[in-house]
Amino acid sequence: MQTQENKPQNSLLAWIDARYPLVSTWNLHVGQYYAPKNFNFWYFFGSLALLVLVNQILTGVWLTMSFKPSAVEAFNSVEYIMRDVEWGWLIRYLHSTGASAFFIVIYLHMMRGLLYGSYKNPRELIWLIGMLLFLVLMAEAFMGYLLPWGQMSFWGAQVIISLFGAIPVIGPDLAVWIRGDFVISDATLNRFFALHVIALPLVLIILVFMHIVALHQVGSNNPDGVEIKKYKNDQGLPIDGIPFHPYYSVKDLFGTSVFLFFFAVVVFYMPEGGGYFLEKPNFEPANPLKTPDHIAPVWYFTPFYAILRAVPDKLLGVAAMGGAIAVLFAMPWLDRCKVKSIRYRGVSYKILLTMLVVSFVVLGWLGTQPATPELTKLARIFTAAYFLFFIILPFTSVSERTKPVPERVS
Amino acid sequence: MKRFFSILTLLIALPGVVFASGGHQPELEKANNSLADKDSLQRGAVLFSNYCMACHSVKYMRYNRIARDIGWDDDTVVAKMSKGTARVVDNVETRMMPGVGQQVLGKTPPDLSLMARLRGTDYIYSFLRGFELDETTGEWDNKLLQGTSMPHVLENMQRHFKPEDYVQSTRDIANFLEYVGEPAKLQRYDLGWKVLAFLFLLIILTYLLKKEYWRDVKH
Repeated sequence: MQTQENKPQNSLLAWIDARYPLVSTWNLHVGQYYAPKNFNFWYFFGSLALLVLVNQILTGVWLTMSFKPSAVEAFNSVEYIMRDVEWGWLIRYLHSTGASAFFIVIYLHMMRGLLYGSYKNPRELIWLIGMLLFLVLMAEAFMGYLLPWGQMSFWGAQVIISLFGAIPVIGPDLAVWIRGDFVISDATLNRFFALHVIALPLVLIILVFMHIVALHQVGSNNPDGVEIKKYKNDQGLPIDGIPFHPYYSVKDLFGTSVFLFFFAVVVFYMPEGGGYFLEKPNFEPANPLKTPDHIAPVWYFTPFYAILRAVPDKLLGVAAMGGAIAVLFAMPWLDRCKVKSIRYRGVSYKILLTMLVVSFVVLGWLGTQPATPELTKLARIFTAAYFLFFIILPFTSVSERTKPVPERVS
Repeated sequence: MKRFFSILTLLIALPGVVFASGGHQPELEKANNSLADKDSLQRGAVLFSNYCMACHSVKYMRYNRIARDIGWDDDTVVAKMSKGTARVVDNVETRMMPGVGQQVLGKTPPDLSLMARLRGTDYIYSFLRGFELDETTGEWDNKLLQGTSMPHVLENMQRHFKPEDYVQSTRDIANFLEYVGEPAKLQRYDLGWKVLAFLFLLIILTYLLKKEYWRDVKH
């Protein structure tokens, strides 16, 4: 780093800098963080995830001001927000659309990792922290979905928590312990509220911080999957790198604008997202005595839900669903190919990755449908295909016919 | 990358095409209503008060909110919808005493605040028009909800109105209930395009800004 530039000119800044590492922190993470110059479309989603997180926290704080976490009042208070709170409808739609947007952005962000090998040495920890983030995000979304206390909130939570009951020996007691009752009840709603607005957001923020610190320790990967730190100029700066600010800050500003445009289309013109973002049965208050004809979780859980239903045995189904997520943690070690980017990898990885994406999307659709015998058969095929990716990959990736990787970014 | 997206699009579209058929509900009639039609909403509010509020409530709505949104003043809304018995800040409750529904109809008539969001405006429209006289028993039934406890309250209207007026009246009620389902819909349509126009300009501006900053980056 150039010490010359690190010396603040402004006297206030100098005063602060003597007491707090403001300038050096800024430079380390923004002003002089060198990122590869060849980021493409896929590289917008990291910063967009951060944007959505901020949106969720801000709108969440304001929703909390009018929401009442009790089984008697929760549903009514949501309608109160929608009708009597100034701009309440907008704040709520920003939050509910934000939840779905979060998963769209995160799934694309993870896809980027799989395309360009961003989980590989030396970025394994970034991937692991990211997977933890994904796990916590799922818990956060699941608990948030109970809060409006609609029919789908109630029955979705009932189905998912009863899964813990399938665990041998401790299962039934564990399910009661999570719910704080024998069924989903006021106690469950209240504790989910606590976890949703305090505990899990704190964990998310800490993990996001660690995710970024880990990234900045090793530097960003890029669509060519080459390390830009290999070639440095006489000042010790990567030749193919550019400072994050202003180059990527202005580029992300553009990405943000495009994202917000699509986001606003949903918020203002289709906040129900065709019944996928806000499910119709959720406009009816939770009724423990009336089971809906068809219980489907929100769309972002459906791929895993389809895997759960595809397995005939309940315990094995739960294990398969958990395994489908857990196996992603192992990606850095399952993929043994030295070449990072899909641009220079062999046909086998391209075929396998296509298979994974296709299975994930089809399972996602199947999870929204009633489990008819034909569809269950289909779900089994695609569940097998999903896991096949992780089973075959360690073998094919060792001896993959890769293309020569360029020395520098193209 | 382009190929990847086209495959993805195809995969998302395919199940929709293949499995679009199915479903056991009778075909719904299109309500063809419009929230922009304030006259229709006003007629719908009056009809709702006259024909529905004997049994049903829209308890999440307040009279003054209805007045503000559909173009009435406070005095008009209580005069037209409650014959002057309610205060403007009151929620729109049913005129039926508690427990009477259970006694007379066998169940408490549901609150209709969110019925349009739960079942759709077309469902309400089709339901209102779905009453059929069973020739053998001489009783009314509804083809959308067999064995419904709800009597055909619009029977006289259906009998004595001109058919096109009857259609319009049922449409007005459905329209009013769609509005009641989400009163903010009027605002969000109105605000939405302005936000989108702003973001469109922002996209152009930030694109040019990015281009300007990136001029010195050699590829």
